[in-house]
Amino acid sequence: MGVLLEHLPELWQGLIVTFQLTAASFAGAAVLGVLVCALRVSPVGVLRALGTAYVETLQNLPLLVLLVLAFFGLPEIGIKAEPLVTAIVVIAVYEAAYIGEALRSGVNSVSKGQGEAARAIGLTFGQSLRHVVLPQALRTVVQPIGNIFIATTMNTALAGAISVVDLTASAQRVNLVEAQPIPIFVGAGVAYGLIAAAAGFVTGRLERRLVILR
Amino acid sequence: MKRFVAVAAVSLLALTACGESSSPAVPGATSPQSDVLAKAPVATVAEILPGSTMEKIKQRGELLVGGSLDAPLLSQQNPATGEVEGFDAQMGKALAKYILGEPKVKIVNSASETREALLANGTVDVVFQTYTITEERAKQVAFAGPYYTSGLTIAVKKGTTGIAKPEDLNGKKVLAGANTPAIPAIKKLAPQAEIITFGSDPECIQALKQDRGVAYVQDETILIADAKKDPSIEIVTKPFTVDPYGIGLKHGDDQMKTFVNDWLKKMQDGGVWQEIWKTSIGTVVTGDAPAPPQIGSVPGS
Repeated sequence: MGVLLEHLPELWQGLIVTFQLTAASFAGAAVLGVLVCALRVSPVGVLRALGTAYVETLQNLPLLVLLVLAFFGLPEIGIKAEPLVTAIVVIAVYEAAYIGEALRSGVNSVSKGQGEAARAIGLTFGQSLRHVVLPQALRTVVQPIGNIFIATTMNTALAGAISVVDLTASAQRVNLVEAQPIPIFVGAGVAYGLIAAAAGFVTGRLERRLVILR
Repeated sequence: MKRFVAVAAVSLLALTACGESSSPAVPGATSPQSDVLAKAPVATVAEILPGSTMEKIKQRGELLVGGSLDAPLLSQQNPATGEVEGFDAQMGKALAKYILGEPKVKIVNSASETREALLANGTVDVVFQTYTITEERAKQVAFAGPYYTSGLTIAVKKGTTGIAKPEDLNGKKVLAGANTPAIPAIKKLAPQAEIITFGSDPECIQALKQDRGVAYVQDETILIADAKKDPSIEIVTKPFTVDPYGIGLKHGDDQMKTFVNDWLKKMQDGGVWQEIWKTSIGTVVTGDAPAPPQIGSVPGS
């Protein structure tokens, strides 16, 4: 326990980086995820295929591989970014596939009549998605999206592989000196657990408020 | 989909078949490394004290070693033979031979952050993994040895100027392996350096070549091997630290510590230690084997 207090500044700094990574990459994933979902449910075949390809590719590759590939591979073709930026972009792109799929399940839960009614009053595809379908879809997938948020938090621990010093990496650095893995990693684990619990609490409350009883 | 499964199955079969037929034919399957072990000592029956850790290992018939599978020259799995080769790996096998009469080890791939826990809960009997003896660590584990001494040095991209000593790293981006002694060493000698870490040595080299940092601080042995493979990097200084590597044992197991230290003494006096050095680290470092470090000469050992 003493070892945690002694190294609180470093661990705290790591926790802040974990927060930054989670917040920024989740925000990016949310925006991209809506786009992916729109592609997946689009009436145009080519766009649907594009959406499917995106989801299938990213869901079938380990995030660690994507991170290392982007970090070491892209500079070879002249694209070089800071480690933190690389991590945020890669995690956002990766999680967007999952958010897109969660949203699509929400879209599928919106009854067909809603879409038909939207078309009948002359809304375009984009308009009916924005004003009729997505708002209802979002309300049904609060919990799955919350779970993806939690998964994103845990996945940020992989950013250490490309030299981002997040909570996990800073715990490793502290342990290197102190050689007390059990208190150090239990401490870090508790921090991740608290983030997940908070996210679970918020989504639980949101879901009860927003749920549509059909 | 069915066709895909069939194709996948066939290609898998082809792969495994290929692996089976070709492995005995791989050249170097009987490496000079296995000859060295023939000369390694075996403990007398009296030395395996009843009720001791050594006796438990003997009854099990296998020595459980915490080590790496990806450390060139030290402990690296040869993809062709499946054998783990290198200085640490050979030392582990030699210790197994001392206890069991044959070099039968099971290497548990352990990370720097789990070594203490693996020893404490008995998952492994010993750790051979460039385990630098420090007083902090000695509170958690017992160290036999030191069995090898190394030091940190600095590599840069060829032609880089202005870095000739550790203090020159101040204010610069410096690469280091995650969980290596390089991190505390850089913090101490060049507190203003920005340390950038990666999990493995090849990644650090790649990062150096991509200008993610101007210098790479790592064990001299590893850097010499890197510089031999890759002429675009060079080493700019002599080792500036002394890292004594110890054999990690369960904390408080004094019987085992004495036993392992006795073994190490026999290895050094009989020249087996030197032979193991020659067939591993000595393949890239020129000259004769160095004098082995004095057993028990380091605080914590």
